Amino acid sequence: MIEVRGLSKDLGEFFLRNINLDIKNGEYFMILGPTGAGKTILLETIAGIYRPNKGKMFMDGKDITYVPPKDRNISMVYQDYMLFPHLNVEQNIAFGLRLKKIRREVIKDKVEKSSKLLNIYHLLHRYPSTLSGGEKQRIAIARAMVIEPYALLLDEPLSALDTQTRDRLRQELKRIHSISKATIVHVTHNFEEIFSLADRVAVMNEGRIIQVGSPDDIFRKPNCEFVANFVGVENLFKGRSIIEDGVTRININGVDIFSTNQKSGEVFISIRPEEIFLSKEPFKSSARNSLKGKVEKILNSGAIAKITVDVGIPFNIMITKQSLENMELEEGIIAYITFKASAVHIF
Amino acid sequence: MRKMKFKFFTLCFTLLLTIFILAVIFCVATHTTFSALITSIMSKEIQFAIKLSLLTSIISTFLCIIISVPASYALARYKFIGKNFINTILDIPLALPPLVAGVGLLLLFGTTSFGKALSSIGINFVFTTLGIIVAQFFVNISFMLRIMRSTFEGINPRYEYVAKTLGCSDTQVFWKVSLPMSKAGLLAGSIITWSKAIGEFGAALMVAGATRMKTETLPISLYLNMSCGELNLAISVATILIIVSIVSLFVFEKYGGTARLY
Repeated sequence: MIEVRGLSKDLGEFFLRNINLDIKNGEYFMILGPTGAGKTILLETIAGIYRPNKGKMFMDGKDITYVPPKDRNISMVYQDYMLFPHLNVEQNIAFGLRLKKIRREVIKDKVEKSSKLLNIYHLLHRYPSTLSGGEKQRIAIARAMVIEPYALLLDEPLSALDTQTRDRLRQELKRIHSISKATIVHVTHNFEEIFSLADRVAVMNEGRIIQVGSPDDIFRKPNCEFVANFVGVENLFKGRSIIEDGVTRININGVDIFSTNQKSGEVFISIRPEEIFLSKEPFKSSARNSLKGKVEKILNSGAIAKITVDVGIPFNIMITKQSLENMELEEGIIAYITFKASAVHIF
Repeated sequence: MRKMKFKFFTLCFTLLLTIFILAVIFCVATHTTFSALITSIMSKEIQFAIKLSLLTSIISTFLCIIISVPASYALARYKFIGKNFINTILDIPLALPPLVAGVGLLLLFGTTSFGKALSSIGINFVFTTLGIIVAQFFVNISFMLRIMRSTFEGINPRYEYVAKTLGCSDTQVFWKVSLPMSKAGLLAGSIITWSKAIGEFGAALMVAGATRMKTETLPISLYLNMSCGELNLAISVATILIIVSIVSLFVFEKYGGTARLY
């Protein structure tokens, strides 16, 4: 377990203010926050690059506040890879092992294993400048993993990659975590990464930790306006997804929702409020999802009104003030909501 | 049409300047015959000057590297009080006329108690080979320092952070990451420093004097032989110096450009 207690650090432009965190062994812990929130310097301080101005850090109860990075056994991966350009892939991965007094055969064996795990075995003799972003990031991860660190710190590891490579590498991070059971602290500003990877999330802003909890907690029960605005996702549900004859059906508390996205198992879905039609009578259309419910709440805020309809699960729908008046909606009446399967986003 | 005229106008300047430079070099290179050149180069005096120049320039370049590498690393990586002031002071030798640098060195080693203490234990700079080395060092150190500083500054410190998390001490980080990554800058800086050391005249003249077969480096030899009309000897020295400069320039252009690649 890594415990951070009252940590403060001032680096001028970037700073940390009274950070408290507990990161459990084997946990996939993510830190979410806007640019300039201090996420990177938090990771770097945990790694021991900076000495905190105030506060303490413990690793399994041992005070590591002033232990130099080389003795912490916490390794780090940056967004822009930081592969040593003067070393080939094999030498890059073996870098940390060679500093320890380990026999050559053992090093070779470990490098081989980790490069196979990350599908970069065929690149071992290449130099970093000849590789693609995705390949470089795999190497950086292998280099950090091969020393079997107490914790692995990832600083926006997927942000510099194109969408396809990012999705693939995200799956691999999940696989690697489940195989290695490593403690991972992953900084991101991408919500999808959180839903597919995180056990717990900390939201950071202006050098402070604002909220810590499961992804579900953070997105459903934001503890303040900043978190609510920052994570800002409406109609977010957790359910079980089954693909039948090419159609994805997601069951959420007994309510079936159809989606064009193909993903099965435990999933999160979200539907943007402006993609949902609201009607007082059943609405015949080509849209796959049509649900009957009760208008639970009408929140009238200027030009746009937010209507909550309970169809077994609560949906939020946005309509204009004009529509609200024309439809003569009131709380408690029966209404129908309709949306296309393509509007249902699965992650 | 006007645009074409302007292009032609500016190109004329480029061309004229190129011709001017080539003409100067051509005059030196073609002044004597090839055989006369070889005979002069093989002469005892020029052989002495070549050896002395090689010896002093290699030692002074080596000293420049040894001193500038750690100093420039500190300037590039650490924050400390008075850093700006120190940076300005370290640049002074670059702006100082070499003759003035030479006078200063002569006074420091010849007249102060520091200089006298050194000479009392046998370390004599005035009118000696050591004087040539210290003159070359003083004139070139700022130059080397600047190249190495910008080389180290060009390396993202996160490379070093990663190395630390993988188990490197500060010293290991330097040897295993920072220094190998600044290889190109180090090579380019050393070559240009060495070439400048070979050509160093003013400061060395002040400190070590111009004594034939004693403190006679290539530039001193050129000066001595020109002043007493030994044109063939002078030309042979000039030719050697031209070759050294052009080759160094070539190497610098080739590797200096990649010095800030990372």
